[in-house]
Amino acid sequence: MSDIKIRSKNLNVYYGEKQALFDVNLDLNEKEVTALIGPSGCGKSTFIRCINRMNDVIDICKVTGNIEIDGIEINDKNLDVVSLRERVGMVFQKPNPFPKSIYDNISYGPKIHGKGESKDELDEIVESSLRKAALWEEVKDRLDEPGTGLSGGQQQRLCIARAISVNPEVILMDEPCSALDPIATAKIEELIDELKTAYTIVIVTHSMAQAVRVSQKTGFFHLGKLIEVGETEKIFKNPDNKMTQDYITGRFG
Amino acid sequence: MSEHTVKSYEDELRQLIDSVIKMGSLTESQMADSMDAIIKVDKDSIDKIIKSDDEINKFRSKIDTQIMTLLVKRAPMAIDLRETISSLKISQDLERIGDLSKSNAKKIKPLPQDLPDELLGNLKRLGDLVIKQLKEVLDSFVNKDFDKAKEVWEKDEQVDNLTYIAMESVIDFLSKDKKNLDFSTHLIFATKNLERAGDHITNIAENVCYLVKGEYLKGNRPKGRVIQE
Amino acid sequence: MTKEQRLKKRHSAEKRFRFYGLASIFIALLFVVILVHNIFSKGSSAFMKTAINVDVFFDQELLGIPNNPSKEQISDADLYDVAIESILKVYPASGLDQENALIDLFTIDAEIEIKKALIKNPNLIGKTITLEITASDDIDQLHKGNYPRELPEDRRRISDYQLQIYDTLVEDNKIVKNFNTYYFQNGDSRDPELAGIGGALVGSFYSIIICLLLAFPVAVLASIYLEEFAPKNKITDFIEININNLAAVPSIVYGLLALQILLATIQLPRSTALVAGITLALMTLPRIIIPCRASLKAVPPSIREGALAVGASKFQSVFHHVVPLALPGTLSGTIIGLAQALGETAPLILIGMVAFVVDIPSTPIDPSSSLPVQVYLWSESAERGFVEKTSATIMMLLSFLIVMNFLAVYLRQKFEKRWN
Repeated sequence: MSDIKIRSKNLNVYYGEKQALFDVNLDLNEKEVTALIGPSGCGKSTFIRCINRMNDVIDICKVTGNIEIDGIEINDKNLDVVSLRERVGMVFQKPNPFPKSIYDNISYGPKIHGKGESKDELDEIVESSLRKAALWEEVKDRLDEPGTGLSGGQQQRLCIARAISVNPEVILMDEPCSALDPIATAKIEELIDELKTAYTIVIVTHSMAQAVRVSQKTGFFHLGKLIEVGETEKIFKNPDNKMTQDYITGRFG
Repeated sequence: MSEHTVKSYEDELRQLIDSVIKMGSLTESQMADSMDAIIKVDKDSIDKIIKSDDEINKFRSKIDTQIMTLLVKRAPMAIDLRETISSLKISQDLERIGDLSKSNAKKIKPLPQDLPDELLGNLKRLGDLVIKQLKEVLDSFVNKDFDKAKEVWEKDEQVDNLTYIAMESVIDFLSKDKKNLDFSTHLIFATKNLERAGDHITNIAENVCYLVKGEYLKGNRPKGRVIQE
Repeated sequence: MTKEQRLKKRHSAEKRFRFYGLASIFIALLFVVILVHNIFSKGSSAFMKTAINVDVFFDQELLGIPNNPSKEQISDADLYDVAIESILKVYPASGLDQENALIDLFTIDAEIEIKKALIKNPNLIGKTITLEITASDDIDQLHKGNYPRELPEDRRRISDYQLQIYDTLVEDNKIVKNFNTYYFQNGDSRDPELAGIGGALVGSFYSIIICLLLAFPVAVLASIYLEEFAPKNKITDFIEININNLAAVPSIVYGLLALQILLATIQLPRSTALVAGITLALMTLPRIIIPCRASLKAVPPSIREGALAVGASKFQSVFHHVVPLALPGTLSGTIIGLAQALGETAPLILIGMVAFVVDIPSTPIDPSSSLPVQVYLWSESAERGFVEKTSATIMMLLSFLIVMNFLAVYLRQKFEKRWN
């Protein structure tokens, strides 16, 4: 039985006047993949962006309630957001490598956090991150080339390697495969399978089939509320809530 | 239950259920005809009953195709998935029931016209129960009625008991006159077939329960008295 | 209308549109060609100057310097006599009037040219060599064909006698054209043959450098602050509107501003590149801020998010990622702004650059001129010699502007290739 890594309690999020999340209570287990599903605008992306305080960059966004990681409250005003984001990495829907070389993409994070002072140390971090992201063999001979020159699937794995380079504990993925073809998607899913032994992963996805394949736990959101959460197989074989069933069988809207 | 957003998905599921229901009706009427023929020792209707089994088998292939299409096209989830898999299993059980009714019809040929009333009566009671079970279980499938299916499942005990009684009267008849041996064995097999039909119906009931609740029924099937084999 | 008719109508409309486009391009090109031809035909002759071959005898007695003199002794020597002696030998002139007429055919700086030759080669003492002495402005224009010979003598600057000398010299192949180094080396002068843009070039150069050093950092940092860090409220909106308006303020207003504040209140020295630079910087600030802000805005938010997600602070995300991507647009905007500043005349006139500045400024606080102002000053002069110099200076200005614009395009492409 896994320990609880992230816990949210009575989490409410407002964008100006509009409320986006209503009293969300959700526990995410350590070294497990949790999938968040739900129709567009249901608040799943908003939720994961709370975990690494990315909602801070949106001026009109207000967050109330608690989120704890390893028991430490992160909605605290005094919390150092930079070191939080060192522990909680994020991969976005559209791959967004920096317009720099592949090497610089990976080494940027460790450099600004003071990890890897010598070139050798950085080289090692770059190689190990790329290996963990199953990208090393494909790019080891062209680390100087721009990251933006890779294919879509490779770029996304580069972004995953970049997230891993700072040695986080949690990796948040916001629809990481929606811009990728099926083969690239399969490679990412395989990667997630391997990564879950070392990292806690939260993945937002629109693909029901993907959620079933990669996750152990699934949460269904609708209009800002967490409707149902449970073991993935149960949710997809026999959900308790009718709304959940309507959504996953395509009876919505 | 609201409908699927994609109409063709909705239609495909409906058509699958429809096929199962139709297959069930055919099986029901075939069994009734078969039972009727045995009781009346009506040798003329044998061919008709054998032929109707072809219809039932045709439905089997049709349902197989419909299920393959649904799986590959729709990747059904939750209740849709359970409905699809249950339909597959139920159609298999219905086909077996059809085969059993056909087999019973074939056994009428060598039967004499003057079988004792008690024997026929016991046989008829068993047959009626089995036919009723089939009807009930098919209704429970159509209406997704968990309780009804569970009732059918529990009533298998009664089927076992009636089988025992019918079997006893056949064995009794056999022991009275050795020259009855030939068609008595047919009667024994026919009785056994009815019991086996009852087992298949119980399978269907279990599948209906899983379809509705998402879990299998717990515990062993209720068993009545059985003749040691 | 049938389908065919509609199709035909659309095709003919497209044909007409294409024709209008080509016609307007053609007309624009025509104007450019006319303009360029006009300027080139007037200005290209300024790059050559007329000179007269003179046999110069460096008579040691007349020079009054010892054998093997030092450079200092040569510089201090008076070469007037040597010059006059040599010049008078060019043509048999009798009487003071005729002699003066002959001497007037040469530039006032003839003595200086001869002295320069001697300084360059002190071994010439006691020897004779043929030097090309620059002709006077009138001869220069006459030789270039700009001078009307048909006018009656009392309405001409060149007398008949002088024309006679000239024609003889031409026959004897003693009149040559050489490259007009004075145009580039000298400052302004009353004598057109000696006038050059040297002073204006240096003045413009200092002004632009000062403008760049002041405007670029301030503008870029202001843009970064306003775009990335400042809260979005009414005050910042107000600032943005004002910056946009400032870019459209007529440049002469900046001249007035400089006059009042820099010259009157702070009492910086008038007509200097320093003041010009500051004025131009004030004017160029909004012209750099606007493209810089636009470039910053154009950087996709995914870059910022990517940096933040990896644990960069807002400061790091802006300076390590956003600003480098905004650099191409900022640089082109800066270079275009500088090119505009290079051509500004009105504010510089107001701060006093219309003064007649002969010396080439050595520091930004020496009085100087600037290229466009020099054009303005020369265009007001009566002498024919200034006409060609004005056009030549316009050509120089245009070439600088074209080079700067190409530089802007090149830099932009280079940076964009790197980032993409």
